Amino acid sequence: MPAWSDFEPFIVSGLALGGVYALSGVGLVVLYRATGVLYLAFGAVGAMGALIAWSLTQAGTPGWVSWLVCVAFAAAVTLAYGTVFGPALAGRDPLVKAVATIGLTLVLYGAMDLLWTTSGGEARSLTLPTDNSGFSVGQILVNWTQVIALAAGVVITVATGAFLRYTKLGTAMRAMANDRVITATLGVPVRRVEAAAWLGCGVLAGIAGLLLADLVALDATTLTFLVISSLAAVLIARLRSIALAFAAAIAIGLIHDLLTPITSLTNYRDMTPFVLAAIALLVLSRRRVMTQSREEA
Amino acid sequence: MLAAAVAIAAAGCSSSSNSTTSSTSPTSTSSGTPSATSSAAAGAVDTSVCGTKPGVAATGTPIVLGGIVTNQPGTSFTDIANMAAAYFACVNANGGINGHPIMYKIETEQTNPAQIAADAKQLVQTDHVVGIVGNTSIIECSVDSAYWQKLGYYIIDSGIAPECYSTPNSAAVNMGPRYSSDGAVQYALAQGATKIVFDQSNVPGTGYIAAGPAALAKAKGVPIVQLTENVPISDADSVAIKEVDDAGPNGAVVLNFTPPEALIILQAAQKLGLEDHVKLWGCSTPCNTDFLAQSLGPKWNNKLFVNAELLPPDVTNTPTMNLYKAILKQYGKAVSGGIGSFSQMGFTEAEIAVHALESITGGTYTVATVNAAFKAVTGFNTGMLCQLWSYGSYATHIPNNDDSTVTPDNGKMVTAQGCNLISAVDPQIAAYRAQAGTAALEPAS
Repeated sequence: MPAWSDFEPFIVSGLALGGVYALSGVGLVVLYRATGVLYLAFGAVGAMGALIAWSLTQAGTPGWVSWLVCVAFAAAVTLAYGTVFGPALAGRDPLVKAVATIGLTLVLYGAMDLLWTTSGGEARSLTLPTDNSGFSVGQILVNWTQVIALAAGVVITVATGAFLRYTKLGTAMRAMANDRVITATLGVPVRRVEAAAWLGCGVLAGIAGLLLADLVALDATTLTFLVISSLAAVLIARLRSIALAFAAAIAIGLIHDLLTPITSLTNYRDMTPFVLAAIALLVLSRRRVMTQSREEA
Repeated sequence: MLAAAVAIAAAGCSSSSNSTTSSTSPTSTSSGTPSATSSAAAGAVDTSVCGTKPGVAATGTPIVLGGIVTNQPGTSFTDIANMAAAYFACVNANGGINGHPIMYKIETEQTNPAQIAADAKQLVQTDHVVGIVGNTSIIECSVDSAYWQKLGYYIIDSGIAPECYSTPNSAAVNMGPRYSSDGAVQYALAQGATKIVFDQSNVPGTGYIAAGPAALAKAKGVPIVQLTENVPISDADSVAIKEVDDAGPNGAVVLNFTPPEALIILQAAQKLGLEDHVKLWGCSTPCNTDFLAQSLGPKWNNKLFVNAELLPPDVTNTPTMNLYKAILKQYGKAVSGGIGSFSQMGFTEAEIAVHALESITGGTYTVATVNAAFKAVTGFNTGMLCQLWSYGSYATHIPNNDDSTVTPDNGKMVTAQGCNLISAVDPQIAAYRAQAGTAALEPAS
């Protein structure tokens, strides 16, 4: 077993990784709470936005313009998908809604594979100005992009929670998640509210794509499927609690990285999100069974 | 929606084939990559010297060759076959092989053994190929080796799997991951590294690859830590921290990854300020691209040392290297990576194949004559390797076992160490040299 000092650097990297998962996880919960859709294309739209930003930067476009284009692309694609397919899928089973977003994922993933091929050993990277400065923690340097990613997770969690709880639009979104038909009967402009939720989710996907392209890798496969690890945090939060999704994401990142220096476990650390999600679901379902049994007794 | 998804995904991922013949239109459009457009020397070279009858298109019966390459998300070797196709297009436009154009069939696969076996049968039974050139696949050698031996095909390829080097019917122009990693570790040991951390992708065959570096380190009495990482890497920070912690300040971290994965690790190390926490960083051949050097920036100048299985194109001014650049520029529109190891390998394989085909007398191009010619190639100066290339009747083939080392220099890879034989401390190298004798050691110049 390594000494405690061996684990210290991995706390920092684990927090950064947790922040990465949290960014995606929070976005997924927000949309699910508003529309009942588990948006599995979250990673793909962010990835394509980031690759577009990279191409623009390579062509000489100022960095801030390409970053805005990244966010705008993700927002536009997500809004378009929600506007076109959202109403048609509104009455369908949640599983059908989730699987439909895999269609969008495959379209974008195929397009990225064609447009930004990895043949010939092409290696791309997207760097932000905040990468070049930071502060030291022990032997490693923490850059401001990592801090921003973690802070963005916190800010988005708090802001979204407040938005859903205290604003009229947020209340309408929560009502729609419970019952779309009754909410519409009460005079809520359902389509407009849904569009706002899709747009917000798309903006988050764009921001997450940009940050993840810098923090993890500018690679279509990595960014597209990173959302699967974030799903574990979302499942632990049972698709309801934004704060719990954030906390679960941070915990997953920390545990994942703290396993790295343990030789016997290091090659299994990528299982962390799924093991934790499975444990959480088992515990939660057992508690529900026990509660039901008590009520029946 | 799903239909569209399937259609696009299929276009990007599924098995496919294409071919090129004398009808391939030459184009003056550059590949658009920085390297492909930058060579003044290439512009001055007349590509017609690739054939025996400059300017005369070959119109005879096609000689059908084939190749199988991996093409899947994250791993694509299509540039190698596409560069071979570019070379063949040049030959076809300038006389062909005694008037016969080369028709080149390329099959792509996604690391699926059944698909790879079917690809081989497709080439043999449907396309009636008489030779296999340009194969580059993660597992093709393992899957098809027995099939090629049974039918009498002698493959000219870029090797990855052990069977590309350890069987009688495969001879590669590259050193592959094991011997390239040997070269990178050998350089690190020569620089005085007191500990080696060797990290590679967690894919089948890692034990085979790791055995070479382990033998070299053991012979020097230097401890070695073997690591593997699941790819794609999503936690590069923790990977970089672990590597540096394990290596220590006088140790070396040697990576064996594809360029995107290696870049992720190296950039993570840089962002964490860890690049100077070890004596040096090493990498096997895939890192030898200007893309990587440009992405890394000047902090890695003389800090990262990459094994180069082929001569560095940017600083080699020879007729062959200039012809390679000119053909790439004129015929290599499909070679997306431009100048680099992959396209050099494709060029070299096609060059050897054409050299062998031109040696066939009587104008009969069958499986027997073509493969006998391939096997008979001896002491051929490819202009791309440190040593002369031979096929020969050996139980194993490692015809490229002499390499150089490059390092980033402000966005380009430049030579850090010239040609240097891979140590025979690796038992596989020793076994090959015992069979091939001086043919395994002859320098190119």
